[in-house]
Amino acid sequence: MEYVFWKEEVRKSFFIILFILAVFQGTVFSQKPDHFYNVDTEKKIRGTIQKIVMESRYKDASPFLIVVLEEKKTEEVYNVEISPVRFFAHDFHKGEELEVTGSLYFKEGEKNIIARQIRFRGEIIMLRDKKGFPAWRGGEMKQKKRRKGKRF
Amino acid sequence: MKKLVVSLFAFVLMSSALRAEMFSLSFFQNMTDNVFQNRYLEKDQLSSLNFYLDKDFSKFSFFTEGNYVYLHENSGFSYYFHGIGLDYLYPVSEKSAFYFALIGQGAFYRPDYNDFNYLSLNFLSSFKTYLSPTSILKSNYALEYKTYEYSLYDFISHLLDVSFDSYFQTRTTIKAELNWGYKDYLHALPQSQESQAIQIMAVKGLVAQGIGGRVGLNVSGTKQWALSGENPFSSVEEFYMVENPSYDRYSWQGYQISSELTILIPWNIELKMGYTRAEKEFPGIESMDLEGNPLGVIRQDTRAQFEASVEKNFPKFSLFFSYVYIDNHSNDSFFEWQGNFLAVGLEWNMFFGKKK
Repeated sequence: MEYVFWKEEVRKSFFIILFILAVFQGTVFSQKPDHFYNVDTEKKIRGTIQKIVMESRYKDASPFLIVVLEEKKTEEVYNVEISPVRFFAHDFHKGEELEVTGSLYFKEGEKNIIARQIRFRGEIIMLRDKKGFPAWRGGEMKQKKRRKGKRF
Repeated sequence: MKKLVVSLFAFVLMSSALRAEMFSLSFFQNMTDNVFQNRYLEKDQLSSLNFYLDKDFSKFSFFTEGNYVYLHENSGFSYYFHGIGLDYLYPVSEKSAFYFALIGQGAFYRPDYNDFNYLSLNFLSSFKTYLSPTSILKSNYALEYKTYEYSLYDFISHLLDVSFDSYFQTRTTIKAELNWGYKDYLHALPQSQESQAIQIMAVKGLVAQGIGGRVGLNVSGTKQWALSGENPFSSVEEFYMVENPSYDRYSWQGYQISSELTILIPWNIELKMGYTRAEKEFPGIESMDLEGNPLGVIRQDTRAQFEASVEKNFPKFSLFFSYVYIDNHSNDSFFEWQGNFLAVGLEWNMFFGKKK
């Protein structure tokens, strides 16, 4: 019964959160990425996951999920940038196969790919649009909240 | 107060939309021959309009979504749902990270159903770590406080999940999960002096098998126990796309077995087919005959569910189609029912912001 007073408190908190969000979102932090999605260097590779790590890639942004992929045909190794939140949304493991379409760039002698689309376990996962703008939609928790028709 | 809330919502939405990095708009048309999911079939069509947008601020992400659902035959059950939140990803090493989210939600129904209007606050936290390159340990904690127009339904709940999965060279993934949940109704019912609390525990196992690059198959099973407490209401009911607070994951014990086949067919169209069988008992709910006389037994349902869905993603939009058939048997004749549920949808995505 001691929770009863919470009801009014939570209603107030809800409005306070709304207010904070209204103020907070007005502040836009600048981002200065040191590499961009370049549509002219786009390529598709298919390979096997060798390693999964999280690394900082962009200033003032969450570290990215990086999948180290060995291409099947050439045995060349690529560092594939997935996205920050995919670390929670998809469970990648060493040994699993991925097909990645993305923009290739070189850094410190290593081949890197900014993933635009991946094919994984029979599903297509869109990470960016054709011009390379990020299209990830939040983490697992947010995706669970999304409503696409009826869920039983 | 209402005007203030509406103004704040409007301000948050307008200013968010102007600065969003991702905005999506979707429309779904849903059709069923059994909207109230009982033996007296009632057809209805439900039109659902949704929007979603998000924006990153440094290491935080703001997101909001709205969903209006209109029932064509039972318009008194139409509603607007809104969710708004902030989340944060905190890596602790190359292999481990925490995820936190604070979410406010509300649902506002037409007068026929407005006892079930609610506001809720949710705190979510997750931890994920790679124990080895092929093994993942995850844990989630969710706290929810939900307050309804009709305060008898108010509750606070805690949900804790721990899972472990491992991938093998045979392209097989095996996953085990343990869930514990506690839901406390905050107000005593008229016939009871004490508030009601329900405690549940569940174990889940999953085996997933990849077959080539285009086919995935998984089979899972869940067994759930009610450790303490029981449903405080006289009936448990589910409605199609309209939330009913008497039915949720705390209302039953029993088991559920599911299988799902995912195939990427030509033109990169995703096809999913699934079958689920469930046997559920609803503690505290006595079965009745069709005249409403108690039968002296606890309600038990056996359900078979078949579903198929198709999804095609284009650069700017996605198309969806889904069909579900449910055959529900119960020792309460009112809940002996079959239903067909069809949905078609279009989602339109727009991306803004900086090109990283």
